[in-house]
Amino acid sequence: MSNVFRVPVGDRTWQRRGQSAHSPDAQGDAPRLPGIVAGVLAPHPPHLLYAENPPQNEPRSEGGWEVLRWAYEDLRQRIRAMDVDVIVLHAPHWITMVGHHVNCVPNPRGFSVEPIFPHLLRYEYAFHTDVELAEAIADQAHDDGLVTRKMRNDGVRVDYATITALHLLNPDWDIPVVSLSANNNPYFYSTSSLDQMHVLGESTRKAIESLGRRALVAGSNSLSHLHWDREQGLPEDMTYEHAYNHHQYRWDMRFLELIRQGRTRELRDLIPEHIDETESETKAGSLTWMLSALGWPEGIGEVLAYGTVIGTGNAVCLWDLEKGAR
Amino acid sequence: MSSRTETSPSFAGAVLVPGMPQLLAERPAPAWAGLADGARAAGERLRGAGAETLVVISTQWFTVLGHQVQVDERLTGTRVDENWYDFDYGTMHYDLHTDVALAEQWATEIESAGLEARRTRYEHFPVDTGVILANRLLDPQGGLSIAQVSCNLYAGVEDIATLGRAVVRAAESVGRRVGLVAVTGLSSALTQRWIEPEEDRVEEPTYEEWDRRILGLLADGDVDQVLQLREQYAREAQADSQLRALAFLQGSGQLVGAADVLEYAALWGTGGAVVHWPG
Ligand SMILES: [Fe+2]
Repeated sequence: MSNVFRVPVGDRTWQRRGQSAHSPDAQGDAPRLPGIVAGVLAPHPPHLLYAENPPQNEPRSEGGWEVLRWAYEDLRQRIRAMDVDVIVLHAPHWITMVGHHVNCVPNPRGFSVEPIFPHLLRYEYAFHTDVELAEAIADQAHDDGLVTRKMRNDGVRVDYATITALHLLNPDWDIPVVSLSANNNPYFYSTSSLDQMHVLGESTRKAIESLGRRALVAGSNSLSHLHWDREQGLPEDMTYEHAYNHHQYRWDMRFLELIRQGRTRELRDLIPEHIDETESETKAGSLTWMLSALGWPEGIGEVLAYGTVIGTGNAVCLWDLEKGAR
Repeated sequence: MSSRTETSPSFAGAVLVPGMPQLLAERPAPAWAGLADGARAAGERLRGAGAETLVVISTQWFTVLGHQVQVDERLTGTRVDENWYDFDYGTMHYDLHTDVALAEQWATEIESAGLEARRTRYEHFPVDTGVILANRLLDPQGGLSIAQVSCNLYAGVEDIATLGRAVVRAAESVGRRVGLVAVTGLSSALTQRWIEPEEDRVEEPTYEEWDRRILGLLADGDVDQVLQLREQYAREAQADSQLRALAFLQGSGQLVGAADVLEYAALWGTGGAVVHWPG
């Protein structure tokens, strides 16, 4: 019943950018090439945004989860240096039941109260969409066999995962955005296929390249996803913060070791197993989409930090296709 | 099967209704219209039994940490559904009046039972599609007040049942007659394409068999058996939120007789039903 094309794995699409034989001056002075510059795994627990106390967010905190937040700070510097035109984000809490939706509203703005953690995230958001690219991704994904929809209704509230990940990547909100929905529900459904996310990643890359954008692609997932079902008193009281259990932690470390060693093809095989073992939020497909957009690059993964949030595993990771070229 | 015993004087009946906004479509499929009519009929029964407040758990207000009780006195606004925004039924205006006395007492009862109850009162809080829909169909004139609790997807079902038990205690304590409302789908093999209303049918025949088996047991008054099958049903037919919302109703201790299955039909490939238990 699926007319979705199958995409070959990590065998044809990526190359280290800015270091070809035609770029003798690659080291330290990379040409500003179009295409995907880098991919990031950018987890979105609202706790991280809450802990930053940005002016857009109503609740106030005493901090917490610093190691993850410091990693995001480092990442912001690196994103600045990349000089990208757009951040394309796939996040799992704009849940669409039918199809993959792309936010094509030129200037989404509003006040987003998070229904799960309303005490942590009540955020006044305003950003700019790269509408041309958003539409191109939707069109390309449609042509590639996916069910899609261009969302043009400015009454739809932007979800907390999209807000949190984008804020943490670029708190100035001065880089245009394309936001993609998650066509599944990691909570409602017992399984979800990652196959479509491979295709959506490829579609995203094709659209970015066809328009000549320099893009950062960000997949927003936590890793191990079992967590406490009861709250502690002060959310940022770090004496309560640790891995949910040893099993979850060990599996997250196994996962991150492959990233650190750049063994992306093996990582692809491990993703479903990791989901089965840890209820990983990668079930929502954002990581798979991002790595597929990158072409499953071997040899360049970096783990900037790992930390737990209410017991879930969260890692900030980077695949910089121009590493060494800047 | 349970033999009929006395229910609480605070209990005006219980209903299970779907939460998909297609029930409000201007041009509904016959199946959608049937479900909407069933929900309106169930609402009449609750009101006829003297319900003053609808006590709602919706699987679309899902939480993962503790339990939230809505205590904002008035919830008003426009909800634009993040999936169905392009359809007439995807935009819903709402104006809900919370039974604050009941909700506060409910939160207290939940805490007395050893669970957490966050009292939620935030401007611009996003009320979910299921609650708005249920309120619109069960109480078209808007004469009833409402009390809502979130559906924690990580908590054990015994905790969800405790929420149902707690609200009956709270209603007795504040002297309120309540209709209990579970807003939930049944099987959830959602049709993964944009369809015309008349094309709608339950996507998987085996899922429909499961739904009908479950509804048959409810009609026989065998809620316990349904809850025993709950996990298997969830595995084999992707029951919405593992049918936790039914555990909420059962936890009230008030589902002592046979249920009346008013309607069963497809909703974008999923199973939807309207079920009523008398007070
Ligand atoms: Fe999440």
